[in-house]
Amino acid sequence: MRTLSQIPDNAAQQSATKTAAVIKLSIGLSGVVFLLMMIFGLIMRAAQAGWVDLDNALFYQLLTAHGAGMVGTATFSGAAIMWYFLARHVALNATVYIAFLGLFLLGVVLVLGSIFIGGFGGAWNFLFPLPALSGGIWEVGAAVAFCLGYISIGVGFLLYYLEVGYKIARAYGGLLGGLGWRFVWHGDVSRAPPPTVIAAASVTIFNSIGIIFGAIVLVATIVNLLFPEFAIDALMAKNAILFFGHVFINASIYMAVTAVYEVIPEYTGKPWKVSRVFVIAWAVVVIFVQGVYFHHLLQDVNMPKWSMVVGQVMSYGSSVVLIAVTVYSTAVYLKGAAIKWDLSLRLLVLGVIGWGVGTIPAFIDGMVAVNKIMHNTMWVPGHFHTYLLLGEVAMAFGFAAWLVRGRAIRETSALDRFAFGAYVAGGGGFVLMFLWSGASSIPRRWAVHYAQWQLQSQLATVFATVVVLATALLVAGYLRGLLRRGTEQ
Amino acid sequence: MQSQIFLVSLALMFLLALVFVRGVVAPGAPLEATRVNRQRSWLLWGLVMIGLVLSVASLRSWPHRAAGAEVLVVNVSGGQWWWETDTTEIPLGQEVEFRVTTEDVNHGLGIYTDDMTLITQVQVMPGYTNTLVHTFEQPGRFHLLCMEYCGVAHHDMVNEFQVVEVQ
Repeated sequence: MRTLSQIPDNAAQQSATKTAAVIKLSIGLSGVVFLLMMIFGLIMRAAQAGWVDLDNALFYQLLTAHGAGMVGTATFSGAAIMWYFLARHVALNATVYIAFLGLFLLGVVLVLGSIFIGGFGGAWNFLFPLPALSGGIWEVGAAVAFCLGYISIGVGFLLYYLEVGYKIARAYGGLLGGLGWRFVWHGDVSRAPPPTVIAAASVTIFNSIGIIFGAIVLVATIVNLLFPEFAIDALMAKNAILFFGHVFINASIYMAVTAVYEVIPEYTGKPWKVSRVFVIAWAVVVIFVQGVYFHHLLQDVNMPKWSMVVGQVMSYGSSVVLIAVTVYSTAVYLKGAAIKWDLSLRLLVLGVIGWGVGTIPAFIDGMVAVNKIMHNTMWVPGHFHTYLLLGEVAMAFGFAAWLVRGRAIRETSALDRFAFGAYVAGGGGFVLMFLWSGASSIPRRWAVHYAQWQLQSQLATVFATVVVLATALLVAGYLRGLLRRGTEQ
Repeated sequence: MQSQIFLVSLALMFLLALVFVRGVVAPGAPLEATRVNRQRSWLLWGLVMIGLVLSVASLRSWPHRAAGAEVLVVNVSGGQWWWETDTTEIPLGQEVEFRVTTEDVNHGLGIYTDDMTLITQVQVMPGYTNTLVHTFEQPGRFHLLCMEYCGVAHHDMVNEFQVVEVQ
């Protein structure tokens, strides 16, 4: 095994400096894009509320940009966090990260261009054959540009995981060694890889598989766009798209949680230990996060019955692992410790709670019987906004606050307390309105809401405004912190 | 039904957040390792047992009903952005099998009561016939709404039918 301590000091120092700089840039970009995408979301909710008159085509373009932008940025920020902390355990090549960043930005340009220049509005999940059948709203070129943008982002991620997987394999005796699975049955578990390495090895496996499935269906979609006589089976395409989409967005949180493993010990003074339960939990995640995507297809009655049972059971099982391991462990680590609750810790802990709480409406909707009356209602964005807005995004902002915190942990300032409080109150109210809307049978992705549905949208617009203001404060605080630290150095 | 689901979800979400926060802020020393392991085991196995009961209870009667012998077949076709049915009046209490197809992209057939409560749905996919079996227990007007995003007029893809009492 080769660890960081065996790498020549100068090279390690240079690499660490370069890594820190690109990660800070990535987190800054993520913050700004999160804010912009939230503004898009606010505009859509205001339109559904009847307060803003928005052209339907523009609404669905904003919907597409919001979905693609949020999923992409959540996973991008998760990747930045995981790279930063994994670099503490293995020597990662910063040049690979820069190539990943370049391909990601190229993808963003193509996706935004396809939407706002080409008029593409096929939603972030580009369900086959919608990209080719726009009803005259966008041309083939726009749909191809959108798919190429996704492919560019996917290639960047595969490069990223190749480097992560290779370095873990070299340091821990193969990727399987990085997973620590052999410690499930025997051996001294205190010799298992650190939590961040186990998380990184796990995500590398399942997200690489997910991206490959995504790339296959994207290439097939492009061929269909250019040669319409080439058609693929719609059910197979839907399976591939939802498998890729589910795995990709979940990877964002599973990467961001490395910040919890690495940062919370600074506050509690106790390292995040790897136990046998921890290793088993990550092994379960590797399998469940791939199998659970079937819960998106519970109303596709041509799917085999067993797939629906798997979707329901794995949906619940994923929640059990999350609540009994990650959420419970976080509470145990915090309990009784003399902690100074600064902005970073507050946001990271919020991220864990939001993730755990968000899994409840998710597994409830994952039941076939419930799904019959909740699928594709506002309940769906309700549950995923809970574990993204109050989960992954909170973790990303917690990491951002930690990056610019300075060495000493200070009590939260009045401004930070206000920003955090507004984020929690606005975010909580916002997701609650989604869930209430779902329980009121309001379908998702409708540009126009009937009058009887508008109260929920109006209240959601108010809460969304609070979230946008809180996020603006968090982003401004991060940028101010970067400038301050730059001046100090 | 939706209201109960909403209330149960909120209660569980609130409970989880409350237990977490109270557990963290409650005064006292950090938990000993043996107590942590015991608590975690109880939590884990307790949730697994609840899951087993929930799975058996919710799946024993398969939620996607199969049609019986006396079923009335209603053919529904969809496209950007319309629904068409071959039956506009359905007898009350009659088991109905909707056979749903699409001429272009994916859609979702959602059946709503007149007060806009979703009572059942099925996905609609090019190249496939998807079936949905339902028995209407109330007379009146019902609405067909599209539940799967299908392009710029997705929200305009609506139609309606009547459920009528037959003497």
